[in-house]
Amino acid sequence: MTVAPQTIDVPPSPSRWSRAWDNLSLVFASRIATVGLVIVLLWLVLGIVSLFWTPYPPNSSLFTQNLMPNSTNWLGTDHLGRDILSRLMAGTQVVLLKTRLPGENGWVIPGGVAVWGVIGALFFGSVLGLNAGYRGGWWDQIIMQVLDALVAFPAIVLYLVIITAFEQGDLVVVFAITVTGTPGIARLVRSLALDIKTRDYIRAAETRGESPSYIMFREILPNARGPVLVDATLRVGYAIFAIGTLGFLGIGLPPPDPDWGSMVNDARRFIFVFSWGVIPPSVAIASLVIGLNLFADGMREELGRYQK
Amino acid sequence: MARFIVRSLISAVLTMLIVSAALFFFLEVGSGDVTVKILGIESTPEQRASYRTQLGLNAPAWQRYLDWLAGSDWRAERAVGLPLVTVRNESTDEAEWWAERDGELVRWTMRDGELYQLTRQADGSSVESPADVAWQEGENGASYFWGVDADNNAVMWMRGAGETVWVRTKAGFRKEGDGPREYIPLRKGLLRFDAGKSLQTGRPVSVTLWPRVRNTLILAGLAFLIVMPLAVFLGVIAGINEGTWIDRVISIGGLALTATPEFVTGIFLILIFGVWWRVFPAVAIFTSPNAIFEKPMLLVLPVMTLTAVELGYVARMTRASMVEVMEAPYIRTAAIKGMPRRRIVMRHALRNALLAPITIIMLHVNWLIGGVVVVEAIFGYPGLGSYIYSAAIFGDPNAVEAAAMLLVIIAVATRLIGDAAYMLLNPRIRYS
Repeated sequence: MTVAPQTIDVPPSPSRWSRAWDNLSLVFASRIATVGLVIVLLWLVLGIVSLFWTPYPPNSSLFTQNLMPNSTNWLGTDHLGRDILSRLMAGTQVVLLKTRLPGENGWVIPGGVAVWGVIGALFFGSVLGLNAGYRGGWWDQIIMQVLDALVAFPAIVLYLVIITAFEQGDLVVVFAITVTGTPGIARLVRSLALDIKTRDYIRAAETRGESPSYIMFREILPNARGPVLVDATLRVGYAIFAIGTLGFLGIGLPPPDPDWGSMVNDARRFIFVFSWGVIPPSVAIASLVIGLNLFADGMREELGRYQK
Repeated sequence: MARFIVRSLISAVLTMLIVSAALFFFLEVGSGDVTVKILGIESTPEQRASYRTQLGLNAPAWQRYLDWLAGSDWRAERAVGLPLVTVRNESTDEAEWWAERDGELVRWTMRDGELYQLTRQADGSSVESPADVAWQEGENGASYFWGVDADNNAVMWMRGAGETVWVRTKAGFRKEGDGPREYIPLRKGLLRFDAGKSLQTGRPVSVTLWPRVRNTLILAGLAFLIVMPLAVFLGVIAGINEGTWIDRVISIGGLALTATPEFVTGIFLILIFGVWWRVFPAVAIFTSPNAIFEKPMLLVLPVMTLTAVELGYVARMTRASMVEVMEAPYIRTAAIKGMPRRRIVMRHALRNALLAPITIIMLHVNWLIGGVVVVEAIFGYPGLGSYIYSAAIFGDPNAVEAAAMLLVIIAVATRLIGDAAYMLLNPRIRYS
């Protein structure tokens, strides 16, 4: 007598793609997040295109100064006769796509100043927050005291001090964004770590005899990633905000690459004779920051709904 | 409660100490050679070196940090051997340092290798006479004397050393064979409200800072008075109508306003009201120190910009808090027992909903300060923000440190007040 082999229906484990799609559908579930994502992607695409092609070279004065939008220059020209659309597109690069290293070689690393600044803040914030939250005691006291001191600095003052202390450069702005972003992320990670460390799987890991750093980085951090990533998205927005402000104040990213903040600052001087010039770069900064904010906001709402 | 207050006070003091040290050493590391900026690039290295000495920049960093924090007169008194006192100069309104000897106030000055004594008269003027001072024997046949000069420094004059030094006076540089070798700029230190002299203007920081602080307080205070009721009103409206189009408009509008950088908002307001319609002045240039009171119109656009930036944030906070409270069981109970909606909102929801915004607004002062710096830079408004901005650009450590510390103190103090207010208003919270 033969027994039919038992078959168990094992649902195929979801592939990477389908999981990524699940995450994406979370975005599309929220209309706000979708709108935000579309705006951000629009700028991202414009930036990537500008790496290979812009309507005209962004730094050369090819046209009459201060032209209104017309069929040749879709967004007009600036006070030096440069095409505003080309400059606007290229302005995305320093913020989102490339960071220039100091030195004569003109080397760049992929990933914009805002992105690297936030990555730096994520790194230091996570390390400090995890140590404060998981280890507690003196670690917590000392780390939080130092971070409180950092928070007490108004961000703009910190930026001014750091940027006057060092030479103008992309890496200095990255550093400034990292320093100002670290306390906030550390606080968030700490509160998440305080919550997660009471869970059973942490107890299990401790019983297994795992080292504190294993528990912090392999057990706690992956489970805290949702809110941290949403916060990081918001912070990229703040970073672009800050870069724009620094550029506007004349102490931001160094020339010659176009930077939206300094474009506004340049155009502002001609505001009474040619008021159009300030509008495109202003709208660019505002729309990108608003896009990131909408995206983060929508995501937070969706994630919150998930957790309920 | 008392324990909580003591603990947060200690924490605040610690915070301030860490911040002051960090600030000082940050500027120490980077600000470059400030003497180049003051003297210009035409100055020779010798002149710069002498001027560094004259500014007291050759002392070790920790020493200058202590001077900055607690004053240098302790150290100078030990060197001079006489008590040093400050007297207010009636004509400049600034403090002057004098050494007190036998009931007289004296200073010294050196011309062509000769030391003269200035004795202060009751009317503020001084009488010059050849100095009768005890020169002390120094190394290799030189002799030296510690005194106070007319520029508020404790100075070590030396004769017979045969070295030449450059001395910077109001008229320019002078080369001297015998002369001042070491300087201790006299100051009372930040703890005693004296932040030293601005290297950019040569005037005491504490004198020039206050008018700026007043201007900024007027600007920020006006914006605050407009923002608070308006934002709370909009937030409450959005909160009780959660999910409706009113809520959407207020929420997304608020988000857009918050996410738009201050300078963009400012530029657009200038464009609309200053350039196209020409109803308000587009810049806030002060023609006299009291220009705000003479021409209040100058304030309109700066206040409007600051309001626009703050409005969205506070409104969103109030809305979130209101939404949370409206979902609470006791609100449902009130609704079920038939209480009119208006009364529920006014009597039960509002008080609880306003708790969170109050603390968050207090924590938000840092953000407000950032806004103030940018707004003042856009409009050329002479306040604390533009002061710190121009000082930072110049690399004037005394001015940057003083202004930044003031902002930090404001930020820390408001946070303390926020914490305390939250505790008083919310009896459920207990701090250990």
